[in-house]
Amino acid sequence: MIFLGLFRESILFALHALVVNKLRTFLSLLGITIGIFAIIMVFTVVDSLEQNLRKSVQSLGDDVVFIEKWPWTFGPDYPWWKYMNRPLADYTELDEVLKKCNGAQSAAFVTSARITVKYRSSSIENVTIIMASHQYDKVKNFEIAEGRYFAEIESSAGRPVAIIGDVLAKVLFPNQNGLGQTIKVNGAKVTVIGIFKKEGESILGGSPDTQVLVPVNYARSLIDIRDESLEPQIMVRAKPGISNDDLISELTGLMRSLRKIKPLQEENFALNQTSLISNQFDSLFDIVGIAGWIIGGFSILVGGFGIANIMFVSVKERTNIIGIQKSLGAKNYFILLQFMFESVFLSFIGGLIGLLIVFVITLLAGDSFGMEIVLSKSNVILGFTISILIGVVSGFVPAYTASQLDPVEAIRSN
Amino acid sequence: MQGAIVKRPRLITIISIIGFCWVIISLPGVFAPSVKKINDWMPALLGAIRASMFIAFIGIWYMKQWGVRLFISIFFIKEIVFLLIDDSNFLSVILSVFFIVCMLVYYKRMDPNL
Repeated sequence: MIFLGLFRESILFALHALVVNKLRTFLSLLGITIGIFAIIMVFTVVDSLEQNLRKSVQSLGDDVVFIEKWPWTFGPDYPWWKYMNRPLADYTELDEVLKKCNGAQSAAFVTSARITVKYRSSSIENVTIIMASHQYDKVKNFEIAEGRYFAEIESSAGRPVAIIGDVLAKVLFPNQNGLGQTIKVNGAKVTVIGIFKKEGESILGGSPDTQVLVPVNYARSLIDIRDESLEPQIMVRAKPGISNDDLISELTGLMRSLRKIKPLQEENFALNQTSLISNQFDSLFDIVGIAGWIIGGFSILVGGFGIANIMFVSVKERTNIIGIQKSLGAKNYFILLQFMFESVFLSFIGGLIGLLIVFVITLLAGDSFGMEIVLSKSNVILGFTISILIGVVSGFVPAYTASQLDPVEAIRSN
Repeated sequence: MQGAIVKRPRLITIISIIGFCWVIISLPGVFAPSVKKINDWMPALLGAIRASMFIAFIGIWYMKQWGVRLFISIFFIKEIVFLLIDDSNFLSVILSVFFIVCMLVYYKRMDPNL
């Protein structure tokens, strides 16, 4: 009960301080508000970016290994001239991987190019065409909203069938169902048998919403799939219970034997995995997070001094009141807690304003950056924690000074 | 200031100054992204530990027994938390134990009141 009374009284004191000295309070709280805003805004953006990236990486597959010519990450002095001479991933190698790799659950040969898609008078240029072997649906995570995936015979015989992205379908067939319609891909007629489920923009690029997927055996008649610029790859998904590292070591041995690489010779292929991308981004996000935290940290430090200052002034102004309270029997801890509550409350308001600004910005931003920016629960907790702790740390010394005042001298002071 | 005025030994002054610097330098660290990744509430918990430590050093600066008691309590809580998250720092433990021994030497000379 005494605690609640103390709490109420302290809040009233704090509100009184806010109302009576508006400008002084505003300037003092501004430091905390800016600090909380800077830290939480940076963390919110970084968290949203990270979440988006993880979603994009997951769509590529956490347990998929990509056999390619080029590695995805390079060191500072990577020998690019050696990589230039490497052979491209070959369709014939896919058969060997499927036959001999025990750790592989599924594998697909995939390559892509830019083409023009036409339907009657509508024409779209620079559409990404994905040319893949039959098991593509087993190595790549995607959903088909309407229609179906290729039948085995369609893939192996190279039938002119395609699955198109949601955005593409809406543009080509604005007022009708695209299923069963015939589109022209680089001049050749292709029947639409499926439409991908809308996924939205991917942070890594290459959203399936604007892609066309055709069997690679059909694509041979449209495009030279051995073209260097098409960057073909073999995607291999690990069996459940087989780690990526185990799969990579098995694939390394298999590819070395397929390409007849001697024991001491360097490999002429790269085995990439999605963790390479996420690890690169993790370090980037950590740096951005630390930068935001340093910038915000300084603002908060200044804000803390502001709160300490306002509390010292508050103690000075109310010295005779403290004297009267103590002479009427108020204990030291009562005075201490009274000023501590006031300091924490002031700091809390500063933090709350900072968080509200972040929240309003996230609402206004919406999807305008191609991704949703969300103020997460952990960041709200962090914002309140920082503001409360700053209130405690910066308010303790003034509060303790007030609690130690001699009542007689305090009453005498003006 | 009310209460018994006890002259502060030089060693306690040095310990308090090191303690203030230590807390102020390490306080922003509890809000680092790496701490946030452990658990949503971890920055709050570590922040509360650091703030309590700061308050303990203020008590020690004013030669109050509650400062020493608070410091020892927080030391044990901190070490339990750090052991749980597997982040115990041997140097920090040694330094804290040294501080506690020095504080206990002067404990009886300290003011028992708030």
